[in-house]
Amino acid sequence: MNPLRVWRALRRQGVLGINGRNADYTLRWNPRRCYPNVDDKLRTKELCRQAGIPTPQLLAVARHHFELRKLGPELARLFDFVLKPAHGAMGNGILVVRGREGERFLAAGGRSVALGDLLYHAAGIISGLYAIGGQPDAAMVEERLVVHPELAAIATDGVPDVRVVVYRGVPAMAMTRLPTSRSGGRANIHQGAVAAGIDLVSGRTTHAIQQSRPIATHPDSGEPLLGREIPGFKDLLSIAVRAADVTGLGYVGADLVVDARRGPVLLEMNARPGLMVQLANRGGLLPRLRAVDRSWQPDLGVDERLALGVRIAGALVDLRDAA
Amino acid sequence: MNRVAAATGLVLVALGLGIFAWKVFGYGLPVVPGDPEGLWRVELAITVRGGGARGSVRAPLPSSGSGQEVYDERSVGDRLSFSIRPEGKNRIAVWRGEIGGIHDIAYGYRVRLTPLQQGLSEEVLTPAPREVVQRFGRPSAAFPSDAPEITEVLDSLGLPPADDVPGRLRSIYAWIAHEILTLEGGSDDALITLANRGGSERGKVALMVSLLRAIGVPARPVLGLELGAGAPDETVWAEAWAGGWVPLSPTGAFFASHPGNLLVLRTGSLSGVESTGAQALSYRYHALREHLGADELATLMVPPSPVFAALSLYRLPVATQGALRALLLFPLGALVLALLRNLVGLQTFGTFMPVLVAFALRQVDLGVGLALVAGVLGLGVFGRLVLDRLRLLLVPRLSILLCLVVLGVTGFALIGSSFERRDFLAGVLFPIVILTMLCERFSIAIAEEGMRNALARMGYSLLVVAAVYPIMRDPRAEHLMFSFPELTLVVMGLLVWIGGYTGYRLMDLVRFRSFASPAEGAA
Repeated sequence: MNPLRVWRALRRQGVLGINGRNADYTLRWNPRRCYPNVDDKLRTKELCRQAGIPTPQLLAVARHHFELRKLGPELARLFDFVLKPAHGAMGNGILVVRGREGERFLAAGGRSVALGDLLYHAAGIISGLYAIGGQPDAAMVEERLVVHPELAAIATDGVPDVRVVVYRGVPAMAMTRLPTSRSGGRANIHQGAVAAGIDLVSGRTTHAIQQSRPIATHPDSGEPLLGREIPGFKDLLSIAVRAADVTGLGYVGADLVVDARRGPVLLEMNARPGLMVQLANRGGLLPRLRAVDRSWQPDLGVDERLALGVRIAGALVDLRDAA
Repeated sequence: MNRVAAATGLVLVALGLGIFAWKVFGYGLPVVPGDPEGLWRVELAITVRGGGARGSVRAPLPSSGSGQEVYDERSVGDRLSFSIRPEGKNRIAVWRGEIGGIHDIAYGYRVRLTPLQQGLSEEVLTPAPREVVQRFGRPSAAFPSDAPEITEVLDSLGLPPADDVPGRLRSIYAWIAHEILTLEGGSDDALITLANRGGSERGKVALMVSLLRAIGVPARPVLGLELGAGAPDETVWAEAWAGGWVPLSPTGAFFASHPGNLLVLRTGSLSGVESTGAQALSYRYHALREHLGADELATLMVPPSPVFAALSLYRLPVATQGALRALLLFPLGALVLALLRNLVGLQTFGTFMPVLVAFALRQVDLGVGLALVAGVLGLGVFGRLVLDRLRLLLVPRLSILLCLVVLGVTGFALIGSSFERRDFLAGVLFPIVILTMLCERFSIAIAEEGMRNALARMGYSLLVVAAVYPIMRDPRAEHLMFSFPELTLVVMGLLVWIGGYTGYRLMDLVRFRSFASPAEGAA
């Protein structure tokens, strides 16, 4: 690897680096006071509810240790659910229960856990074990979404999600993260999940990587990864844009899941979205972000901004293919 | 980088470098530490309490003479009158007056020590001058060289013949050093030490002096300070006349020469700091190695400019200076950290953790230090695995982890002491305990990000530690930052520049390297 050659290639293709993202985008467009809107998932949920944006149904919340006693019977009534911290980051501390086995619960990955284990996990969450700053946290229990079969076919053992980077209210880039057996059923790219870039115009996957290497078929099932259509992609983009609006953040990543029954549902928002989306799309973010800056006007409605994002993505992809 | 940030950085760097250059070129202050050997700043702090009666406080002061040069002395008397009383070649500081309430007395000086390498001539020695024989050759209450026990033991030693003075000195020295035990809290008396075959260092010195006088060699005790890292200890040894005064250690540490860190306070008597008319007296010594040549030191102490003179950190009390010397290294450490994190892109546990660890390890070898950190981490991670089964809440669990780490560190200390390296852990123990939190973060990282990522992150953290570590213990860096604190402004300016750099990090290049290769496999 020749660093200088890589450097020039990155500059040419407008790849956004961490320093650039922090200084020119998150620091500039994400006012500090808006961070709680996305860092606290309960608050995101409430904002979305008021704006009519679909999110997973909230089944129970425990904000204090004494509330765990109440949480026990509530969990015992449920068949499947997701237990997670309200202030978690990078998917940390999320426990998915996908079924029951008498008194015991079946966690993702086939592990069988007792109610006590779940409450211990919830206690850890409340103590701030998974929270960004280690502050006291809340444990929340949400309905477990059922992945749309289109996406379930190219994911192993977990919930694939779709990440949309929204810049100044305009969708800029999107990818889907597909769990593999290597990632332990988690949609975490760093642990070996597949990331596939999505063409904003067609809503189809265009390129896929695993651990930074291009890949054409799913490593577990051998299913082709490219050209797959994301069901309900237009709705999905619209939800991401509206969610970005309610959080007040100008550079934000919206994570959505396509549920088999409900269609796209907003899972959470991220004020410091990672840059892997560029690898997944094999394209830099900067040309798109700059194009948004050039065309941006105040008072653009959601549909107009959606159209703008799709237009920019289409034009740039055409340009690249022509080159 | 935006222009305001670039300009702000420039102003800071220019300001810092400007002041630095002014001091270096305008006043000729040295940029590198001068001869660091043998230059010390020593301070004696006495606290005395009294009920208003007249009284005095006396303390032996070092004199310039063989192997030591004392200068730049200062006294703070705190309502007492001060005078220096000569006593032979010794000097005794006397503070006199009404001792009411608490008086804080201080006496500071600089001293340049050179190791004493006189050796011992084997030729026939000239007889000692009369006044030496008179003062140091005769039996006294403290040195009963005429006692029958002394004669008896001398007979049993089988000394070389009387004309072989060096041989006799060596025999007595070796016998005291090896056959008489050194006991903490042992007797200071010559005859009791002899009877017990063991005593304090003072007792052994008294016995040595008595034996030497008994064989006709004039001898005297010496009170001195052993200068080193931390507070210096009072120490004692003996001197025998063999054509000149020859030092002999009671513990076998030196013979006919002594190391360069021994400062002679008083000869002929072992009395240290004393008082009359006071109800309570306590005192302690501070010593700090000076990093400047004597001449430059004087320039620095009295810089021609009153402004810089007032801002010179060398005016502060010695203990404060020591703390500041360490503190002023932190900006440098933070600079390296920012470089490695923001330009290279190494991810570390905790923002300043690597700097703190590097600082904690500065007194030990890097290998030993990293082994310590690894030991604590291993213990912590193992402890957490076990504790996980008990299902404890976060804070108590962390506290238990802390107890475990404290116990582990205590174990390290025990192992360390059995290697006769009592002090090597002293400065390290406390900060290591702070690393308990790291154990928790590391465990979580293992669970959440997988062993590979957690180890990579730990590796990067330790890499940063290793990069910061040499700076933290470099005497040149310490001298530079302490003598020229304005360089902190330069560091701030550089940090502004680093903070304003929005280009790629080295790790970005690694991560996105596939962009440079032709579009293989892309649709």
